[in-house]
Amino acid sequence: MLNKHLCSEVLAVAMSTGADFAEIYQELTRNNSIHLIDGKIDSVGDNVLSGVGIRAFLGTRTVYATTTDITREGLLRCAAGVADAIGQSKKEVSIHLTERIFPNAHPVRRLPGDVAVKERTDILKEACTAAKEYDEKISQVQGSLFSVDHTILVANSEELYTVDRHLRTRLTVSAVASDGGENQSGFVGPGRAMGMEMFEFIDPKAAGKEAARVAMTNLRADYCPAGQMPVAIENGFGGVIFHEACGHSLEATSVAIGASQMAGKLGQKIANEKVTAIDDGTLPGEWGSINVDDEGHPSQRNVLIENGVLKSYMIDRLGSRRMNMPMTGNSRRQGYAYEPTSRMTNTYIANGSDKNEDIISSIEYGLYAAKMGGGSVHPLTGAFNFSVTEGYIIRNGKICEPVRGASLIGTGSQILQDIDMVGQNLEMGQGMCGSRSGSVATNVGQPLIRVSNITVGGRSKS
Amino acid sequence: MKFESMKEIIVRAAKEAGLDEYELYYYADEDMSVGALKQEIDSFSSGNSQGIDFRCKVNGKMGYASTELFEEEELTALVSRAMENAKSIESDDEVDIFPGSPKYEKVEIKEPPVPNAAQMTEVTLALQNKVYSLSDKIADGTRSSASCGKIETCLYNSYGLELTASYGLQYGVVQVNVKDGDEASFGFEVAEGATMEELGEIADKAVAEALSKLGAGLVETGHYPIVISGKQMRSLLSTFSSVFSSRAAQKGLSLLAGKEGEKIAADCVTIMDDPFRPGSIQAAFDGEGVATSRKCIVENGTLNTLLYNLSTAKKAGRESTGNGARHNGIRFFNFYIAAGEASDEELLRKANGGIYITEVKGLHAGANATTGDFSIESAGFMIEDGKLGRPVKSFTIAGNFFELLKQIDTVGNDVKFGISGGSTMFGSPDVYIPQMSVAGK
Repeated sequence: MLNKHLCSEVLAVAMSTGADFAEIYQELTRNNSIHLIDGKIDSVGDNVLSGVGIRAFLGTRTVYATTTDITREGLLRCAAGVADAIGQSKKEVSIHLTERIFPNAHPVRRLPGDVAVKERTDILKEACTAAKEYDEKISQVQGSLFSVDHTILVANSEELYTVDRHLRTRLTVSAVASDGGENQSGFVGPGRAMGMEMFEFIDPKAAGKEAARVAMTNLRADYCPAGQMPVAIENGFGGVIFHEACGHSLEATSVAIGASQMAGKLGQKIANEKVTAIDDGTLPGEWGSINVDDEGHPSQRNVLIENGVLKSYMIDRLGSRRMNMPMTGNSRRQGYAYEPTSRMTNTYIANGSDKNEDIISSIEYGLYAAKMGGGSVHPLTGAFNFSVTEGYIIRNGKICEPVRGASLIGTGSQILQDIDMVGQNLEMGQGMCGSRSGSVATNVGQPLIRVSNITVGGRSKS
Repeated sequence: MKFESMKEIIVRAAKEAGLDEYELYYYADEDMSVGALKQEIDSFSSGNSQGIDFRCKVNGKMGYASTELFEEEELTALVSRAMENAKSIESDDEVDIFPGSPKYEKVEIKEPPVPNAAQMTEVTLALQNKVYSLSDKIADGTRSSASCGKIETCLYNSYGLELTASYGLQYGVVQVNVKDGDEASFGFEVAEGATMEELGEIADKAVAEALSKLGAGLVETGHYPIVISGKQMRSLLSTFSSVFSSRAAQKGLSLLAGKEGEKIAADCVTIMDDPFRPGSIQAAFDGEGVATSRKCIVENGTLNTLLYNLSTAKKAGRESTGNGARHNGIRFFNFYIAAGEASDEELLRKANGGIYITEVKGLHAGANATTGDFSIESAGFMIEDGKLGRPVKSFTIAGNFFELLKQIDTVGNDVKFGISGGSTMFGSPDVYIPQMSVAGK
């Protein structure tokens, strides 16, 4: 990584025309992935990403420039470009940097590079074989094992110089069940901020079986009915509901410019009092965890909503300037090619006081969303959507036949009021969240919850 | 480091390692963007990056590795990493390095723009000012930006094949938020161009879109005649495009497997893939160096061919269609539903009492290419007296892509293309479907 002396020199150039803040971000990422299809290793992905992003602020005006040329000349040229664009004045600046070492909350015991290729391919095969053997109707299984080894350096004109390395490992299995002319699918994708020791906690065989089970369930499912009804949403990836319906609207990215339905609502009751929601990037080894954010700010636990009252937004450096509020350790970016902005880490609805069985038995007719897929939201209006990948009809308080092809839509402000029962089996699910600063690893999570009324986008019988 | 020096180091390492078949794929891109918030410039960004993707054949298997780090040691390691990766491959798919096509189409090169920060700043502010002048309901968070970029690629392999391509693009984006009391809505428009003459219209369009959606109501759950606008239909086509991939078909992941020569869509549906469409970013060769061609994928409802690369073509005992992507994938060029004959008025008249869909969201989640099922958040306008009536939102349209292809009754006469970030672009005219399932209130 770049040394302190060179960083000081580059920052001084970036600051030389009047900027009031400058920052260097360097990334060195080694991505390794193994892909299996038809029971055979089909491809190996092996990429090295390397580059630098230099940023300067003047008030809330920003300039960002990136380069893969990390020679001294390349960096100075890039910094001079930034200086040219941010201001016209001439200023002699000298930058002093002090190295800060943040404790590593996610120490890795087994680096993927130290583990024999055979051991890694065996894990992938074990998962995919378990899926294939689940039922003779499982017609295809695709699996991938991803290892990301990501080292970042952040240095800025406030004397910070820090280097952080984090690893992530993820297994994905996607199974297709086929019955003549119809295909159905099931997907699982457990991941952690860990090395290969992740498989001491995750059983590849169980993951494979689970993907196959979902595909088989959907094969016998009829289309989900359409209309408004109560919905019970299961734990784990079910937490995507909070991520989409509310989380994005609490990011400074939209709040700071007044483009969020949640702007100006701090201290107000925005959700049902049963709802307490937290964003916590410090959870050891969790998929969305980070030691420091991509501006070098240590990660922290932020209570976003407490008993229905809005307590905090998620704020990056630029958001902090615009909002006059402190940074919260939520600044993230996919890599050097992206200017950072406020993003989620591990975001979840905390356990509540309702018993899970009471939640199901309280619903006379509705939908039990056992597994959720992804979704999206427009923060201005709060209109969101997400898909149900395993669902069942609830009749007279009992979970009945499976249904497929459903999505749930609504607006954030409304659904937060309508989450009227919160269970006690909090669990997280892993996802990749895409936004302005690229794709970042995030956990979503919740216990089983009940939404008293929501639009279920299914297919009504014609 | 210049490409020629990188090439020299890598070729030397490949020869020393005793490799007979190998290929380098080099890219270099540059981009610049100016953005405004409220009525001031708030952001400026620029980037340049280079990368090399290397592949080689070891014992009949292809291995890959890529890097953006250009130290000699790293470039040499690139060769050994790819060789090592090849040893893990078990697939029987035959992947080859290609010696070259006899002839390549001469394509029109879009001249890379010369980035001009001053002009871009001026246009961005002019767009933003225009937006604010059009309505007093314009709200915070409204953004305009002007961007330009260029990319150069070079493919070089052990057969001595050397192909280069380059293209440039300039475009403007307007993202409008409007507020009326407690109600908010938004509009979004993007177009190619660098001057206000070329881009000015996007401000009008985005503001008109945002204002037209204010006061949107709900619809009753039920079945409705539907017109899907070209912009939205092309998103659906893009989401489900992988079903036209021969690789997906051969792996049992597309329900179009084995359907070549069969009727898969209504008579009025014709789908093209055209690497040479005038005005688009044209491509003479694909990711494997094979000459591209213009072809009719679906002709009056009949599936003529899927898209093939060298490996899937070999397996099927036929020729590549020139749709290879790097890493043995399938690449689409200008992939679009061809224009029909119906005017806008005719489509709306046919769909009277139905809904005109102008927005679909969350396709990455609400649509599944393996099953064809979709259930997607939508917004649009009721069609009343053969004209667009009140705006509606917060409903889903649900169906199955394979059924939808057969249900299309009428195709409009104007194909809407997006702007492309690369050489893949999707397009579609408006289409009329007599009945679709809608979930609303």
